Amino acid sequence: MIPRLLAAGLVLSTPVAIATRAAAPTDYVWHLPPGFPTPRVPANNPMSDAKVALGRRLFYDARLSNNGRQSCATCHSQVLAFTDGRARAIGSTGEEHPRGSMSLANVAYAAALTWANPSMAQLEDQALVPMFGDHPVELGLASPADLVARLKTVAKYAELFGAVYGPDDPITIDNVTRAIACFERTIISGRSPYDRYHFDRDDSAVSDAARRGEKLFFSQPLSCFRCHGGFNFSGAVDFEGRAPQQAEFHNTGLYNIAGLLSYPAPNTGVYDVTKKPEDVGKFKAPTLRNIAVTAPYMHDGSLATLDEVIEHYAAGGRTIADGPYKGIGHDNPYKSPIVRGFTISAEQKSDLIAFLNTLTDEAFLRDPALSSGPTSPAARSPDRN
Amino acid sequence: MSSSQKRGNVASVAARTLACLMLLAPAVAAAQATLQVTGSVSSPVLLTAADLKAMPRTTVTLKQDGRDVKYEGVLVGAVLARAGATLGRDMTGAAVASYVVASASDGYRAVFSLAELDPEFTGSEIIVADTVDGKPLFDYQGPFRIVAPRDTRGARGVRMLQKLEVVRLPK
Repeated sequence: MIPRLLAAGLVLSTPVAIATRAAAPTDYVWHLPPGFPTPRVPANNPMSDAKVALGRRLFYDARLSNNGRQSCATCHSQVLAFTDGRARAIGSTGEEHPRGSMSLANVAYAAALTWANPSMAQLEDQALVPMFGDHPVELGLASPADLVARLKTVAKYAELFGAVYGPDDPITIDNVTRAIACFERTIISGRSPYDRYHFDRDDSAVSDAARRGEKLFFSQPLSCFRCHGGFNFSGAVDFEGRAPQQAEFHNTGLYNIAGLLSYPAPNTGVYDVTKKPEDVGKFKAPTLRNIAVTAPYMHDGSLATLDEVIEHYAAGGRTIADGPYKGIGHDNPYKSPIVRGFTISAEQKSDLIAFLNTLTDEAFLRDPALSSGPTSPAARSPDRN
Repeated sequence: MSSSQKRGNVASVAARTLACLMLLAPAVAAAQATLQVTGSVSSPVLLTAADLKAMPRTTVTLKQDGRDVKYEGVLVGAVLARAGATLGRDMTGAAVASYVVASASDGYRAVFSLAELDPEFTGSEIIVADTVDGKPLFDYQGPFRIVAPRDTRGARGVRMLQKLEVVRLPK
């Protein structure tokens, strides 16, 4: 999340930019599900178990908010596939974010990290935005120096940072974001019933209804897969050995309000960054993995259920009859040509939802290695990998 | 009838067709599936899954999400030859001005030139696949699909393939 804060993110990231130096040799072992490629890791931030463990501790530490009320996990809760269940996130000071918390499931592969900022592609950079952004305030930290100072008062951090980065002034903002990014890259979900069906060829893993739903998902009339494709059921993904992918964003006709911009501010999509009219309303197609537990949906949480989401796409855009957002989304001039609308029966809708439900990875939602608990990240739950 | 009404009717028919297809149990659908080869061919045929299994088989490998995936099936050129399409030494004149429309049961279509499907002419490895990694195709893919291993994008990999129609350009 936090695409609105591009300017803040860039300003903040300049003085704390991560130095580019050769990657140290690493013997890190990924715990990847069948069918999943190896994530691409920045050369200047190689993975290590110790760094992942440090990043996990930081991710769950409320010291990362100015008033000690929130951590990264407040808006990215494991049991909700690292979302928060809210339509729009609430920051540590109570300020509402314009958009919803995006799932961190498989974020290691994401070519775009936020709802609508094409230039935010590195987890190390993105982590700065919720920490220090002030429009809106999320974690609300005063400055990188302030965070470093408060972490230096914790003996355990002195020990852990020293073990990862060496004894020479290891607690720096660069090293904080590196560790958090390493942990985030381990947030991998790929052991759902769908995966057992698809990669293990276990036909008993999914129902006949789900298989019918899968056919609908990949059918020409619905074409869900054209935006939510590949192993991650998402837009463009990056991984080791693949040419870097261009992030994709789509206007789905969720709004078509009167005026120059057809989407209600401040959520005007990629337009907010580029100021190009054709980018109005363009948002990322997030992963559909664990989608059943990440309601409400869309960038602003304005659709409460999967049923409503399917209705939106079946209509080729949402019609809002009254109120400030009144408009026929179907007729949005910059709507994606993929969102044409389709006819779907109640039974087919049920099948489609049955398919989407197969993407819920229960082992991921309760994996101790991703939790705030004491378990070492190296200890994977037995039904993973 | 307005264009939007026409679109609505087409969408409705497509949805009803899809609904009928969805009602078929997967195993039954696979066993009863046929591939129609028609158009400008001397002997239009309706091939069954068993017919394809009995023809010379070809395996191609695609890179999907960073991993190798093996598809097995029959060269499209061989399937077209079975229906008497003009291929091989006769790939001149009107034949090189012909194309093939590959159509799926969900309405999706893709076009190949007849020449590019002819192994003698181009070394084509484009196949009608019925197997992935040694197993039947998934419901959303099969029972038959096109696999075009030299395409850099997958858009012509027509899934749920139902028909190959040879079309000769008019003189």
